[in-house]
Amino acid sequence: MKKILFTLACITIAASSLLMASGQKEATVDTSKSDELVVWLWDMGFNGATMQKAAEIYKEDHPEFNLVIEDQGDWNTLQTKLTTIASSGKLDSLPDILLIQDNAFQKNYMSFPEVFTDLSNTNIDYTQFASGKTGYSVIDGKNYGVPFDNGAVIFGYRTDILAKAGYTIDDFTDITWSQWLKQARVVLEKTGKPLLSAQAGSSDIINMMLQSAGASLFNTDGSPNIVNNDVLYKVAETYMQMLDDGTCIEATDWSGYTNSFSSGAVAGTMTGCWIAATIQGATDQAGKWKITNMPSLDGIPTATNYSNNGGSSWAVTSACKNVDLAADFFAMTFGSSMELYDAVAQNGVLGTYLPSANSSVYSQPNEFFSGQPIMSIITEFAGKVPAIEGGAYYYDARDAVCTAITQIQSGAVAKEAFQDAQDTVNFMMGN
Amino acid sequence: MSHKKQKQMQIKSKLTVENKLSITGWFFILPATLLIFAMSFYPMFKALYMSFRTGIGVNMEWAGLYNFTRMLKDKIFMQSVRNNFFYLIIQVPIMLVLAITLASILNNPKLKYKGLFRILLFLPCATPLVAYSVIFRSLFAIDGYFNTILLNFGILSKAYNFLGHPTSAKIVIIIALIWRWTGYNIVFYLAGLQNIDPSIYEAVKLEGASKFQTFFSITAPLLKPMILLTSIMSINGTLQLFDESVNLTAGGPANASITMSHYIYNLSFKYVPNFGYAAALSYVILLLVAFLALIQMKVVDVRD
Repeated sequence: MKKILFTLACITIAASSLLMASGQKEATVDTSKSDELVVWLWDMGFNGATMQKAAEIYKEDHPEFNLVIEDQGDWNTLQTKLTTIASSGKLDSLPDILLIQDNAFQKNYMSFPEVFTDLSNTNIDYTQFASGKTGYSVIDGKNYGVPFDNGAVIFGYRTDILAKAGYTIDDFTDITWSQWLKQARVVLEKTGKPLLSAQAGSSDIINMMLQSAGASLFNTDGSPNIVNNDVLYKVAETYMQMLDDGTCIEATDWSGYTNSFSSGAVAGTMTGCWIAATIQGATDQAGKWKITNMPSLDGIPTATNYSNNGGSSWAVTSACKNVDLAADFFAMTFGSSMELYDAVAQNGVLGTYLPSANSSVYSQPNEFFSGQPIMSIITEFAGKVPAIEGGAYYYDARDAVCTAITQIQSGAVAKEAFQDAQDTVNFMMGN
Repeated sequence: MSHKKQKQMQIKSKLTVENKLSITGWFFILPATLLIFAMSFYPMFKALYMSFRTGIGVNMEWAGLYNFTRMLKDKIFMQSVRNNFFYLIIQVPIMLVLAITLASILNNPKLKYKGLFRILLFLPCATPLVAYSVIFRSLFAIDGYFNTILLNFGILSKAYNFLGHPTSAKIVIIIALIWRWTGYNIVFYLAGLQNIDPSIYEAVKLEGASKFQTFFSITAPLLKPMILLTSIMSINGTLQLFDESVNLTAGGPANASITMSHYIYNLSFKYVPNFGYAAALSYVILLLVAFLALIQMKVVDVRD
């Protein structure tokens, strides 16, 4: 009998310590001060540095304010955490503020509506942001996000390499892809360097080309637009031509991609303007780079030389205990502070706050990019990007098209591969 | 016998020494049982319940067997099932034969530096799955180690994109798996071999059996339980393959190397989340593992 009592005592102790552990955890949540905000984001040098600056600015008038930044590494990790927490229903594990990829905003709202807080009736003036940008985070006429940065596409070239082949940056400005392919072949022949690299299995280049002609993988009613999308066929043809020519090489992963141009093996790159910070990381190449717009698609009436890749918005979660504070913080910083946008411009952060385009800082020449005022140039590009249909199934469609293009590369008939892709997206939508 | 006495006897017979010990035993395993139930069985039942529901994110509704009929039309899932079985049929036999051969060599009492070889063979198992996947990816990259060697020796004239072709991508995964898991299985075989009485070998030797005869007539039958154990574990592991598909090939090219678990992950975290459908697919893996294990237990009956 004694033994049984002893065992019982042991179990009671073990169980109560478990309960105590969980009780303590809850207690620490309760003690969090209401003038503190926790943010989850990725890319400390870019998004994190901007948030830090915003907090500094807000602290000047609100000394008791405290911002805690928790770096999640990358968007995929943040998305995984968000999905796990939201699906478990333990919403109090969320931070006050989340940074969300624009292309994932609708999907996350649709999947987890109770995570988001309506920010429409706050003192944030949404008319001061580019309307195309605000659109990503507006659902049923309500604002669920504060617009942050823009991903206007830039094409950066190594001017010293171009010169060896007898070209200048002007030969690559306002051109079409057929001209680009021709000139890139000459550069490859004379210098042995490709002008472009891409991450294998990523469809960034394809999506940039599509949007440059105002085309999207979705129709206005949200249904997939893949197999009958003429622009997509042109894009696939152009993309495969540059891979065949060797003027574009595929790297296995992201670091392989960035390393391809920072090591000097590839003489150019095309992606969202946020890449400027990475390009400038190769300090030995200072003064050898210039940026210009991307080539336009041949034979497409709506083709332009401008597109977008990436960009994100801030969302306030339902776990936020002080929504007024969060809203005021955004209104005073991202929604009105020129000081903030001026301070982070050197990182290549292009805000979508419209008045920031007139900033005096933006017209300053950048020594790394051979004295080009890159922020002014990027702002000008951003104003010309065609708006396209997005959709909650963006990532599903993107993957399906990427699969199709890989299949076409290895010999599949384009129409059949794209039909498969369309079927896949329709399948995903028909849950 | 009075009524009272009868009752007393009943109580006495209930609390025999054996019963007392058994109750104490139950108390001891109770905490672990509760934890396993909460951490393993509860999620399993919850997932089973979820597999009969469908919807986006948290907006789920009852769907009956819809998820299970739906997956038959899912081309990517079918591709992933084919991929898993490709890995299973090619990798598991190669690995187990290699493991049993290496274990027999290591078990040779005349072998020198046995400890060193054991460590070297087991070391890959101590590497984290993500780390070794990333290393294999860089080894087989276009500008990776293998391409550099093949180019420098003039075997290839142009770098071969190992991870960019459907068959070679799958073969790279198989090579990686063999490297990572052979040592793990060797340990089981070594343990099995050490349980075989050396006098049996001496006896067969006196009878004049050849090395092959010894292996197939003595070693292999006596290792049967271990062979069963390792093959069930390997099949189970291969069907749940995830890290290699995600980190080594990213499922590519064109889903040519994607595994079932990787696809389930994509459905939950990358695409518009549909947990009901993902849970239904997980149950298919469970049924496959259970079915294959059952077949094996029937074929290789441990009780002889």
